Amino acid sequence: MRRLFASKDFREGFAEMLPACLGLMPFGVVCGVGAAAAGANWLASLGMSAIIFSGAAQILAAQLVAADAPLLVIVLTCVVLGLRFLMYSAAMAPYMKKLPAHWQKGLAFLLTDQAFAVAIRRFNASEDHQGAGLHFLGCGVALWSVWQITCMAGFLAGNLIPATWSLEFAVPLCFLALVAPLFRDMPSIVAAVTAGVAVFAMSHLPMRLNLIAAGLLGILAGTLADFARERWTQR
Amino acid sequence: MDATLKLWLVIFIVGALNYASRLSFIAIFARRSMPPLLARALKYVPAAMLTALILPMVIDWDGGATDFVTPKIVAALVAAAVAFATRSTLKTLGVGMTALWLLQWAWA
Repeated sequence: MRRLFASKDFREGFAEMLPACLGLMPFGVVCGVGAAAAGANWLASLGMSAIIFSGAAQILAAQLVAADAPLLVIVLTCVVLGLRFLMYSAAMAPYMKKLPAHWQKGLAFLLTDQAFAVAIRRFNASEDHQGAGLHFLGCGVALWSVWQITCMAGFLAGNLIPATWSLEFAVPLCFLALVAPLFRDMPSIVAAVTAGVAVFAMSHLPMRLNLIAAGLLGILAGTLADFARERWTQR
Repeated sequence: MDATLKLWLVIFIVGALNYASRLSFIAIFARRSMPPLLARALKYVPAAMLTALILPMVIDWDGGATDFVTPKIVAALVAAAVAFATRSTLKTLGVGMTALWLLQWAWA
């Protein structure tokens, strides 16, 4: 670790990531609160933030476990939510090709949309692949560390804060902060409206299967709307 | 199944699958490019999945005569406007929670 911090690229990546980390802190706290609300102990809460390392998946998993959904349904629903990582992976792949295989495997674990956004600039600007890899590692380590601390802070706070504060409302608010800015794009609106109607229309489904069904229908509707827009603009 | 055991199984299985997704085009399918249809569909995963998660937390749907003017729904609409305009998690949380507390106080 000391050798890593001796590297200028690593330190720069670490420092450049900190402003984005600041913005993620409330989301991390909410994830910790969610883990506490689902009845996780501190070790399981840490396991969620350290191993799953995805805020939305952590909250979803905590809620589905609390709702006593079957293991298979929890896993499938989280996997659909995690499909977006395929997108980041494909975007990052051209830049990581020149790095050794064990670097690729290590850095992939730290791939998040925030780290990607910061790291991609260095990969674009620099011919030094090893340096850019170290820079990305700095970004990822900064984000991962801050995430563990904020999730744990949320877990501890979640057990102290009284229910009258309605802190559980912070969960949809964090998701809203992610999803509302997408509504500048027509197919995204179609995807969201379809998923929103479907999740209530199918709320009678057992095992919270309405979440995954509504998500898949929304994705399908968004994709179709995207094709329709393309055809429309080509005319 | 015991809830603690289930939670740990979820942690390891979802963690492994998330890692596989992150690794996918970097290492597993490194020689292939993303199929165009998949690339198009993946763009809509966040809008669809997050909306499906958000709405049941905000609207207490009972199948029929649902009350659509509640503190949670009004506060969520205000927060959505802030999120749309600012893209800031902190501002969305601040305004949304304050709106909820004020509305709950006013409703009561």
